[in-house]
Amino acid sequence: MEVFGRNLLNGISFGMVLFLAGSGLSVVMGVMGITNLAHGALYMLGGYVGWTVAIHYGMNFWLAVFLGGLVSGLIGLTIERIFLRHLYKQPNEQVLLTFGFVYIITNLCIWIWGGRPRMQFSSPALSGLLDIFGMPYPITRLVIIAMGVIVAIVLWWLQDRTRIGAIIRAGMDDKEMTMGLGINLERVSMLVFFLAAFVAGVAGVVGAQLMGVHSILGLDILLVALIVVIVGGMGSVQGALSGGISIGLIDTFGKSLFPQFAMFTMYLAMVVILLVKPSGILGRRV
Amino acid sequence: MAARGSPLQDLITRFLPWIGAGVVLGILPALLPSYMQSIWTKFLIFAIFATSFDLIYGHAGLLSLGHAAFFGAGGYAVGVLMLHTGITSFWVGLPLGILVAVAIAVLFGFISLRVSGMYFLLVTFALAQLLYSVAWNWLWINSPGMQGIAGIPLPDLGIPSLEWNTIYFYYFVLIFFCICFYLVYRIMNSPFGYALRGIRESEIRMQALGYNTWLYKFIIFVVTGAFAGLAGVLFAYFNRLISPVYLGVGTSFLPMCMVIIGGSGTRIGPVIGAMVIIFVEYFSSLFTPERWPLILGGAFVVAIMYARGGIVIYLSRFWKQIGYRHGSIEG
Repeated sequence: MEVFGRNLLNGISFGMVLFLAGSGLSVVMGVMGITNLAHGALYMLGGYVGWTVAIHYGMNFWLAVFLGGLVSGLIGLTIERIFLRHLYKQPNEQVLLTFGFVYIITNLCIWIWGGRPRMQFSSPALSGLLDIFGMPYPITRLVIIAMGVIVAIVLWWLQDRTRIGAIIRAGMDDKEMTMGLGINLERVSMLVFFLAAFVAGVAGVVGAQLMGVHSILGLDILLVALIVVIVGGMGSVQGALSGGISIGLIDTFGKSLFPQFAMFTMYLAMVVILLVKPSGILGRRV
Repeated sequence: MAARGSPLQDLITRFLPWIGAGVVLGILPALLPSYMQSIWTKFLIFAIFATSFDLIYGHAGLLSLGHAAFFGAGGYAVGVLMLHTGITSFWVGLPLGILVAVAIAVLFGFISLRVSGMYFLLVTFALAQLLYSVAWNWLWINSPGMQGIAGIPLPDLGIPSLEWNTIYFYYFVLIFFCICFYLVYRIMNSPFGYALRGIRESEIRMQALGYNTWLYKFIIFVVTGAFAGLAGVLFAYFNRLISPVYLGVGTSFLPMCMVIIGGSGTRIGPVIGAMVIIFVEYFSSLFTPERWPLILGGAFVVAIMYARGGIVIYLSRFWKQIGYRHGSIEG
């Protein structure tokens, strides 16, 4: 029972990191029709910046989370403004372009931070164990779960309960009609792209508490985030959340039950979803 | 319209590029030092690989992020054959490599062609990474104590008294390159090739015309898998080592770069692209090996933003201008 409980919490906390990494990707795909393959690289960049702020300069962990998100957000926005903007309605070119940026960002990160992997880090206040029904459990992971829940609620509120969210959803359904109503969709798209990259950076710092930061994270996280989007369904916060948590649980339980097939349970889940319901668990019908 | 120049001039402008390419590919490498010959060999192998990618991306319009799966599968087939049975015969290795690549392409095609657009891209990416992690974890297909298979010998052709050297191997690869180039040319100019380009432009319209577009896409997926598998077989013999890296997304990125930089949907674009990438890689490895991904990514971004048609457009424009000047091509 204790093993089960521990796996459950581990799975959920890992799933929250996956949700954070996948939500921006999913929303940008849904809203702007852009598959941003540099999303994983932005996650990694956020992780490196967060590490530098928290460990190298000995600053507050929450500041590290914010700055990691901010740097990723600004870089993402720059890519969108300078490059992606000119490739409107050319999905293949957008994909290829962002794939080029994976290489550029990864190599620049290696240039700045070196190839040495960074260990997990956390705020001293968050280290330690908490007793849950007699089971000691690390506080960091609980904080990750809490952060995931908070971000999910904020994003969901933004998506379903605000004017901006309504514009986003309207733009998703009919871009031309939305623009015809006099709405500056480009500005909203910019905001969405910035927010997505920001969340990716935050995810990088949060995820670093579990996995550390290293230079092949850009592609690793991209792959996992894409699986999350496929499984959950693209274009909504709920989809990313359900995909993230399912993949987190499947991966954690898979690793503890069938250690010899550690990586494959995740892919298996993806293949099954594609064969059964290609639009994902909570996907909007395309 | 009739050509204004004499028939001889007409022939020259039409065939000179091919004669030039023949001289450059057929004679030049023989005069170079042997390390340059192996760079040329690598270029030809990647030209086959890039051509196969262009077949699916440039013509059928399917952007696959997992094309290296077939390349690596072909290479692994040769490696595993050598490792477990000791067979080094080329006449067993080549069919086996292509067969394995085709089998994987059939399997992946069934899964990934269920979805289209961006989803296709994600699924091919994930499937290739799945293969990558299989190769990483499954000890049976790795040499003892390492990830990958080392010590793959040059192919045994069954000809006695044949001593391999770099230039022989170069010509050996050149033969396969020419065969592939010709086959791709034939595929592209067949009704099948036209149907593929129709699917790229408008799949719904092709369906309305009564084409089974799924089948067309599936067939081209498998055919490109076979070509990529052939490139992988040659690469395993060339590199003497095959490792999970050659199944992964990093290797898939190379033909993508070559096709985009060279010019997609053209006959010689991928070849030119492969030439540029392989030679720039070689020269950058002399000066700043650790900045190579940055150069590659940067060149790729610039090509997508500012030179969408690829190098081929500029070359053919240049060549046409010469044609105008000598009056053999009508505008």
